[in-house]
Amino acid sequence: MLELIPLLLFIVTFGMLLTGYPVAITLAGVALIFAGVGIVTGTFNANDLGFVPGRLFGVITNQTLIAVPLFVFMGLLLEKTKIAESLLSNLSDLLGHFRGGLAIIVVLVGMLMAASTGIVGATVVTMGMMSLPIMLQRNYDPSLATGTIAATGTLGQIIPPSIALVLLGDVLSNAYQQAQLNMGIFAPKSVSVGDLFAGALLPGLLLVLLYLLYLVVRSFTTPDAMPQRPKTTTISLRSTLGALLPPLALMVVVLGSIIAGYATPTEAAGVGAMGALLLALIYRKLDVETLRETCTASMSTTAMVFFILIGASIFSLVFRGFGGDEIVQELFTNMPGGVWGALAIVMLVIFLLGFILDFIEITFVVVPIVGPVLMAMGVDPVWLGVLIAVNLQTSFLTPPFGFALFYLRGVAPDSVATAAIYKGVIPFIALQLVLLALLLLWPALATWLPSVLYG
Amino acid sequence: MRRVGYWLESLEHIGALITRPLRWFVLIMVLTTVAVVVLRYALETGAIFLQESVMYLHGLFFMLALAFGIAQDTHVRVDILYNRMSSKRRNQVNLIGHCVFLLPMAALIFLASLPYVSASWRVLEGSAEVGGIPAVFLLKSLLPVTALLLWLQGLASSAALVRQLIDTDT
Repeated sequence: MLELIPLLLFIVTFGMLLTGYPVAITLAGVALIFAGVGIVTGTFNANDLGFVPGRLFGVITNQTLIAVPLFVFMGLLLEKTKIAESLLSNLSDLLGHFRGGLAIIVVLVGMLMAASTGIVGATVVTMGMMSLPIMLQRNYDPSLATGTIAATGTLGQIIPPSIALVLLGDVLSNAYQQAQLNMGIFAPKSVSVGDLFAGALLPGLLLVLLYLLYLVVRSFTTPDAMPQRPKTTTISLRSTLGALLPPLALMVVVLGSIIAGYATPTEAAGVGAMGALLLALIYRKLDVETLRETCTASMSTTAMVFFILIGASIFSLVFRGFGGDEIVQELFTNMPGGVWGALAIVMLVIFLLGFILDFIEITFVVVPIVGPVLMAMGVDPVWLGVLIAVNLQTSFLTPPFGFALFYLRGVAPDSVATAAIYKGVIPFIALQLVLLALLLLWPALATWLPSVLYG
Repeated sequence: MRRVGYWLESLEHIGALITRPLRWFVLIMVLTTVAVVVLRYALETGAIFLQESVMYLHGLFFMLALAFGIAQDTHVRVDILYNRMSSKRRNQVNLIGHCVFLLPMAALIFLASLPYVSASWRVLEGSAEVGGIPAVFLLKSLLPVTALLLWLQGLASSAALVRQLIDTDT
């Protein structure tokens, strides 16, 4: 009976989340009610709650997570100063007269944007508002247009340097330490955010390549779905490069310095944010009002992320206090199929959770519970991280509950049928499943680059 | 009764007052981080004090904004059902949530952090790093302060919700 309490805690929490009360507070609140009942009935040790302040202070002093507000600021500044938007319109002037050119540009710009913000909702909404009107106006098939935008918006999970990967990297690193300590290894190897960035880079680029291939194939098989635009104005290559190179250079510098090991994620995020500020200054798009808006929005977003982290750490403290991690461990080791069976169950649960929870919540709630057990069974931490990222990305795109679809529906005009959006994303879901299969067949796809870089 | 309610609602202004200067902290964090990077890579000197000041700014930046996020409704919700609820039903969800989840959570963080923080104050705990900021006891004090702000915000929001619920009924 007692071993059912952690399960019950999980079920009640997710039931309460469905009421729509803020996630962070619900996680902590339900856990505390369980702890209270547990203390009264003698099934929970009240001293466990004494660890709460230490945990929370650990959140404040976590050096890696300082990168979060800096990355958020960088992404929001690029969005609010409309630098990303002008990038899109410049490029579409240059390539718009090729068949499918506009769709390809949307994927490429979306990839850059996703990498800089890493928040699914923000990317999908911005891309939807920026590019959907242009695509529809040029008579693109609505289904193809919305599918491309929704799929591109979810790239933020997997293309570094996204916030999602910073958070996941930090959680994986803690889980990896714990897995090794549990196994009696007291000089544990570590896995860093840089490792995860390097691990996600090839799968991420491969996925973008698959998207582009699909679009090129469609441009031959169904040319009517992506009409060409007659070449009217001649645009100088120079002005386009002028618009394109600076933001691209910014991404390369930020990502490169982290992966090459020159800078910590926090330092790179700070320099990247400075770079975004300079870009905005050069393009004369920076004024006090924009800056104030960016700072205010950064504050809200950062508080939102960290509140979930706080709520989730109270939740997992109580979950552990009821012996939840031992139950998970027992469940996994008795799973038919061993590691693969356990991995399959975790992936399925994460996929389903992706229907109601965002990346951040799942990273903070689920990974600390299942991560150490899986890693103790021999699963590579970087590979696990990339699998989780691709899995969630697919979940966010899957009708009818996918997050990205809701956000896109919110900004798409009524003339675009919801069924058209669903139809449009299906090929992209298939491509992501292809990537997931490739990762399962060849884990080296994720683990090769970090091993070469860091030995 | 109503007067008490209005007084409670006015507690919300504390959050707004704090966040007006607070939002600029991210800009200072960016500039300070760049300064740390320049010192480290160009001049090859460490800057523990500057580096830790980014951490202090960061801690203040998000901890003090948590309560304001409740006032501004910027914390994530699972909105599948919430979006379809009437505004009265939403007010009920929020009021019950505040009373059952938020207020106990804030109270727990406050009470649990008191011995933790007072132990730190007793020895005026400083930085673990040489040359760091000798004010870890102040940083730790953020915990009860944040909890208090969350608690006051919970009261203010609850008072506003009760008033709205009464007004829609009459």
